[in-house]
Amino acid sequence: MLSHEIIFVADLLAIFSVYLIINLSLNLEFGYAGVPNFGKVLAVATGAFVMGVLPFTLYGMIIDYGGLEPIDDNIQLVREINDYIALHPETAVGVFAITLIVAMVIGGILGLASAYPAIRLRGDYLAMTLLGFGEMIRIIGMNYTPLVGGTLGVSIPDMLSFVPNEYRFVAASLVLVGFAGLAYLLVSRFTKSPVGRLLRSVRDDEVTLQTLGRDHKKIKMKVLMLAGALGAVGGLLYASYVEGVVAFGYNRLNWTFLPFVMIIVGGLANNKGVLVGTFLFVVIRKLVIYYNDALDGMLPFDIIWLDYLALGGVMILVLIFRPHGIIPERPQKTRQLEKG
Amino acid sequence: MIIIYDGLIYASVLAVLCVGLTLTYKITSVPNFSHMAFAILGMYMALITSKVLGLSVYAALPLAFAASGLVSLLFYLAVIRILQKKKSSVISLIIATLAFDIFMIGVLNILADSIRNGFQVLSRDFTLRSTDIVLADGLPLVFVVSIAVLVGLALGLYYLLYRTNYGMRMRASIENETLARTLGIDTRLIFSMSWFLSGGLAGIAGVLMALWFQGDPSLAMIMLPSIFAGSIVGGFTSIYGAILGGLLVGLSEIIGTTALVDVFGYWIVQYRPIIPFIAMIATLLVLPGGLAQLVTIIRQRRLKGKNA
Repeated sequence: MLSHEIIFVADLLAIFSVYLIINLSLNLEFGYAGVPNFGKVLAVATGAFVMGVLPFTLYGMIIDYGGLEPIDDNIQLVREINDYIALHPETAVGVFAITLIVAMVIGGILGLASAYPAIRLRGDYLAMTLLGFGEMIRIIGMNYTPLVGGTLGVSIPDMLSFVPNEYRFVAASLVLVGFAGLAYLLVSRFTKSPVGRLLRSVRDDEVTLQTLGRDHKKIKMKVLMLAGALGAVGGLLYASYVEGVVAFGYNRLNWTFLPFVMIIVGGLANNKGVLVGTFLFVVIRKLVIYYNDALDGMLPFDIIWLDYLALGGVMILVLIFRPHGIIPERPQKTRQLEKG
Repeated sequence: MIIIYDGLIYASVLAVLCVGLTLTYKITSVPNFSHMAFAILGMYMALITSKVLGLSVYAALPLAFAASGLVSLLFYLAVIRILQKKKSSVISLIIATLAFDIFMIGVLNILADSIRNGFQVLSRDFTLRSTDIVLADGLPLVFVVSIAVLVGLALGLYYLLYRTNYGMRMRASIENETLARTLGIDTRLIFSMSWFLSGGLAGIAGVLMALWFQGDPSLAMIMLPSIFAGSIVGGFTSIYGAILGGLLVGLSEIIGTTALVDVFGYWIVQYRPIIPFIAMIATLLVLPGGLAQLVTIIRQRRLKGKNA
């Protein structure tokens, strides 16, 4: 048995990794390119839904299910696939890789779809439209049962079934941390490159950019595609970490509003700020859940609502008193600038 | 008959909400994503009045107007005005309203829990339909009141905006704030009043909702897209556009869904929230200025016809 401390830290790191990936992608869209994606949950839910569907389909090609259905005989089928993975780890790697690629492609396509309004609408109208996009995916997920089991949700096969039981939890965390580290490195390289400056100029002054012969529409389309793919990775990793998909959970609060709070508090257009903001809120939320039981019964209402008050309140206070976040955006250093 | 009640009550309530949303957007340029929270507050005022205090639900109308109006005013003064003074972007303002929405959902749920635990009253998914007065032929009073509120609102706002000195000042502040201020108009008072009025109207809409449909804090998230859809269909600049847009979206949600059930079967009911979204997208694609733009186009054509 693992000690409580290790479980606490492993879970913290896993959730931190998931949010870091999602927040990096949101920061690309909102912090750098200035597209307020209030439908971030769309990309996240897409990744999760792909993870909820595709592994069943792919393993269906490898193993004979014997008439078992992914949704109707969910638990039984997941157990069979898990047993198979325990004996054939290589299939899990392959299936996971294919699922990841498909999720990224679909996430990218949906990102491209949200670029259609993004290059045509003004800030406020765009915000409403993207918010609507995000709501749609949840409605479809909750009601279209063949997708991810509707309101009940589905369990999904554990891709790490081959790892001995006592290490499985830590192994999952490590995999997630690995993905998050990779994403952080790639996104940092990306935003530090000249493309990063290009993105900021899309945000700050489209007209000047056009006079320099750049097409801001194309840049927006590309960055939204990239961010969509990255957001889908976040959703997919979360789904595989919790070994299930419940459409109800992919709501605006957890996967759109919370990422916005994290990156604004940390500092927009600044990957270090994202790191700090994400860590801060993941730790706070984890501690709230941890101490939830201690407070339970002392108040005449459910503790969870205090979380809402805190999140909304903190966001408003930060907007008023520290709109640039903990680590504000700095001018990017180029070789010319350093030479002076 | 029930479908007509459902459709018209929902559409009238939605229209009242759209008017409030359009009002604050037009006057202070803030798209208020927490607008629905004020309506839910109204719903709980109705619940408290009827189940805790034991009064008629209709006594909650002034109470809800005052409570939601005050909360809205406080939010404007304590948050929006400060952010606007700091020249925050529209997106920052939207995020602030979203944050306030989350905050209010917390407050409303705490209120709901407290009502349940303190007074043993069902406080989630509740309806006050059974407490409503039924007029002749099974006609519910809320049906008459909803339509009366909407008509009264349309006439009242017309009178306020175009027949009173205050309304003239209001319109002047919208057209050109700086000029209005140099002429001695207290634009701050006018902006504050618009938020109070907008919140208060949402409170009234909430009471009417609770009298026919189910009330629950989760509606804050569910109904918000419909309000925005109605306002955008109306053009988001005109009060009358908002009324028409709200009615149109509300009716197509209820009657459209019922019609689709006949064709496709009952499962389609669950996809009802997609209807306002389609209405919104269609409007933005075909006629971005909404019904208000349509009116302008027709007027211009007529003028051209006269001149020719």
